[in-house]
Amino acid sequence: MNITEFLFNILIFPGFLFLLALALGLDWLDRKLIARFQGRVGPPWYQPWADLLKLFAKEDILPAGTNVVFTSLLPLLSFASVMTALFYIPIAFRRVPSFQGDFIVIMFLLSVPSLLYFLAGWATKGVYSIIGGNRSLLQYFSYEVLFLLAISGTIITSNSWSIEGIRQAQFEQGAFILPQIFGFLLALSGLIGKLKRGPLDIPKANSEVIAGPLTEFSGKKLALWILTNELQTVAGLSLLIYCYFGNLWQMNKLSGFLIFSVLLVLMQCLLSAISAMYARLRIDQLIRLNWYLLIPLSLLHNLYLIIK
Amino acid sequence: MINKSKTPKIISWARKKSPWILHFNTGGCNGCDIEILSLLTPYYDVERFGILKESTPRHADILVCTGPVTRQVKTRLLRIYNQMPAPKWVLAVGSCSCSGGVFSGSYNILGGIDQVLPVDMYITGCPCRPEAIIDGIIKLLEEVK
Ligand code: SF4
Repeated sequence: MNITEFLFNILIFPGFLFLLALALGLDWLDRKLIARFQGRVGPPWYQPWADLLKLFAKEDILPAGTNVVFTSLLPLLSFASVMTALFYIPIAFRRVPSFQGDFIVIMFLLSVPSLLYFLAGWATKGVYSIIGGNRSLLQYFSYEVLFLLAISGTIITSNSWSIEGIRQAQFEQGAFILPQIFGFLLALSGLIGKLKRGPLDIPKANSEVIAGPLTEFSGKKLALWILTNELQTVAGLSLLIYCYFGNLWQMNKLSGFLIFSVLLVLMQCLLSAISAMYARLRIDQLIRLNWYLLIPLSLLHNLYLIIK
Repeated sequence: MINKSKTPKIISWARKKSPWILHFNTGGCNGCDIEILSLLTPYYDVERFGILKESTPRHADILVCTGPVTRQVKTRLLRIYNQMPAPKWVLAVGSCSCSGGVFSGSYNILGGIDQVLPVDMYITGCPCRPEAIIDGIIKLLEEVK
């Protein structure tokens, strides 16, 4: 691989620019769909681009007494960890380096932003930021467990801790989506918590805690946080598609790309519909629902898969 | 308020397309506030212009004020204005916030918003119609460079 090809790969096609377009496109789809579900017109297609550009060109102020270096590092680190996770997830029809245990690496990298989100609340010292940060940590302890338990059904069946192994197993046994539809739905509800989407947008609930940990952020830092969240949506949805529809996946082929896009759009429609349909849960309701109902269910599901 | 010669075209385009508003009642009767909130309903849906109602001054571009400035609220109004990152604009919604309206001459008010802050656009009416508010915001954005 020569240097121009390398730069092209990093910056344009499977790299930064493509991911940016994908993430912002999905964000627009989400906002448009929710608007249509509510009987509104919704924003034009360029809306997320305009929002981001405007935020990057705005003044950046922080409350007095905050540590500027620390607060600037938080959004940068979370952005970097999501981008690194995306490097190991086969977006579109790209081939990625795969090794035993890369699944765990991806899960870890995807959960780093949630922890930094909590720290962002503490670092900016606002009352609402701190409450939002605490809520995000509480939420983290419930959905993260659920997401990992639910998605590990695919690991148990394919007997491999690598993304490539899960794909190979699906070529032999067929896609996991039908035999494990139950695990898929559980993983999807975990993902909603991870992305802090409605009905689980408890840490940034507008009418309760203003904007949660991001209340005191403005300008470039806010833009990076928003971008991180959008990229996380792409990463989470691609991971789900990859783990449950793996056999549809043809590497380095146009049909693979088309299948990926269609599945991605369908999953985004599902997420938007869920956000538009359900009202926000209270934090104690969420934790009770997760630990009393969904996590035991996913444990039972895994037990069934092991016995079978 | 911003240096007009320096802003690249794409940035001023982005500013025009994504005005996020912060709504602040400086002492009005709540009539204008209801009209502002109706902008978010399906009937008027201002998200088609990219307008989002933010709840923190740090995220907002346009401060939408309703009502006259009372003596008590003046320091808070200034504080909220100072918390907004530049470039920022102020919109005075309703007759009260333009001149004091029905409250003018009262012992406890200072007058319109322009007694305290530089106002970029005045929208009159008691209460003003939602169409007038949308028109005001769009006209304000035409001025944005
Ligand atoms: S302009 Fe009229 S409706 Fe609006 S705040 Fe003043 S008195 Fe109330």
